[in-house]
Amino acid sequence: MKTLEELGGYYNAVLMPELRVIEEKRKKVLKKVFLWGGSICGLFCLILVGLILLGLGFQFIIFAVVGLAAALGLTFRLLTANYTGEFKTKIIKKIVSFIDEGLSYSKDGCIPRADFILSKIFHRRPDRYRGDDYVSGMIDKTKLRFSEVYAEYETRDSKGNRHWHKLFKGLFFIADFNKDFKGTTVVLPDTAERLLGGLGSFFQKMNVVRGQLIKLEDPEFEKLFAVYGDDQIEARYILSTSLMKRIVDFKKKTGRQIYLSFVGSLIFVAVSFRKNLFEPNVFKTVLDFGQISEYYQDLELAIGVVEDLNLNTRIWSKQ
Amino acid sequence: MIALIVIIAVVVVFWVVLYNTMVGKKNQVNNVFATIDALLKKRYDLIPNLVATVQQYMEHERGTLTDITELRAKAVSGNVSENERVNLENKMSKLLGGIMVAVENYPQLKANENFMQLQKSMNEIEEQISAARRSYNAAVTDYNNAVEMVPTNMLASIMGYKLRELFEIPETQRENVNVKELFKKD
Repeated sequence: MKTLEELGGYYNAVLMPELRVIEEKRKKVLKKVFLWGGSICGLFCLILVGLILLGLGFQFIIFAVVGLAAALGLTFRLLTANYTGEFKTKIIKKIVSFIDEGLSYSKDGCIPRADFILSKIFHRRPDRYRGDDYVSGMIDKTKLRFSEVYAEYETRDSKGNRHWHKLFKGLFFIADFNKDFKGTTVVLPDTAERLLGGLGSFFQKMNVVRGQLIKLEDPEFEKLFAVYGDDQIEARYILSTSLMKRIVDFKKKTGRQIYLSFVGSLIFVAVSFRKNLFEPNVFKTVLDFGQISEYYQDLELAIGVVEDLNLNTRIWSKQ
Repeated sequence: MIALIVIIAVVVVFWVVLYNTMVGKKNQVNNVFATIDALLKKRYDLIPNLVATVQQYMEHERGTLTDITELRAKAVSGNVSENERVNLENKMSKLLGGIMVAVENYPQLKANENFMQLQKSMNEIEEQISAARRSYNAAVTDYNNAVEMVPTNMLASIMGYKLRELFEIPETQRENVNVKELFKKD
């Protein structure tokens, strides 16, 4: 995998000319955004004055404000959609193949919902599921793919109103694991034990939906994660002492909530993110290397899983 | 009267639950031990193949190979005690580890398809054995806790349950990691 310094060279030599063209477009888009935004706000003020003069109630004003927010949001999306698309196909795509030639990028693709469910990381099924920025390919001997995913589930209150809740938002990563196995092993962030100590461990045992609780001997790993699986020995075969250490290091390196699962000889890794990944910011110049290096770091985090978890070591009978 | 019946019923239920938990823990230990046994047998099956493949190449390791074959024969014969068995296994792990390191001196052997396949199977078995040993230790810790802790300790002494020994993960197991590192070079 290429380093950030190498990307710096590539940025100056290859990306710069393209970025200059995109920067011009960005300025045009930004002008339009301000123009349209200004017009909509002006129109809104006129309507507001009209409403007040007509003596209409407070609820109409709230209605108008909500309408304004929606109109602004929609206009912004329509105006920037083209620019975002172009930035992704021209710049992100190049960064991805620069990092490793074996990888390809698609801005609209995403990890299928079926694979998300197959991972068994989240036992609630997503009712609304979308994603973008799909990367797939091979790193040495390991086949991998990942994308940004946003999954939500729905609940209804006693009045029958729908409520949407976030199930997961962030990077969802799937790769071929280097050992063969049959069962399911899930590694989840350990919130119960960290907050409640021994009592938390008791609640973990009661979690029947997840299968057997697997107590591992690495204390640092145990503090951060809770492991469930259907086979005590297989879970330990997968989570060797060195892999546990690598997972702990990965968790520390990212500083994020991470979930892992091992199903059907595949490894699934979900890394939580609040921000939208790989999205250009129309209000910031694209000529700043800081922004490009941020995309690189997010990509590196995902692609680096192969190296971080040592997936290319093929010393077991699986090729 | 009803109160008395309720109390007795609660005590009986409590007793039954505790009793079953204890039996469950003991069986878990035995179950994992049986798995280790099965895995060790799988390793025995690989040894004749391994010896047959490497002996054509390894002139200087003839003695070690004969020792491995003898140890295997002793272990499968079945008339060894539990302790002797562990001892044999440890010796065998050490010798096998030595062979895997010595392979470095035989480039022809290293390139042999058959050997490479065997080596991967050996690595896999070693890793599975180590996983099973760790599971065994986890199960024994769970069982030993129940034998020593209140209130299950009273039940354990009535049932005649004794503390069980933990498996020591032998040094050779850890050395295997180095062997693996050596093969990463190619």
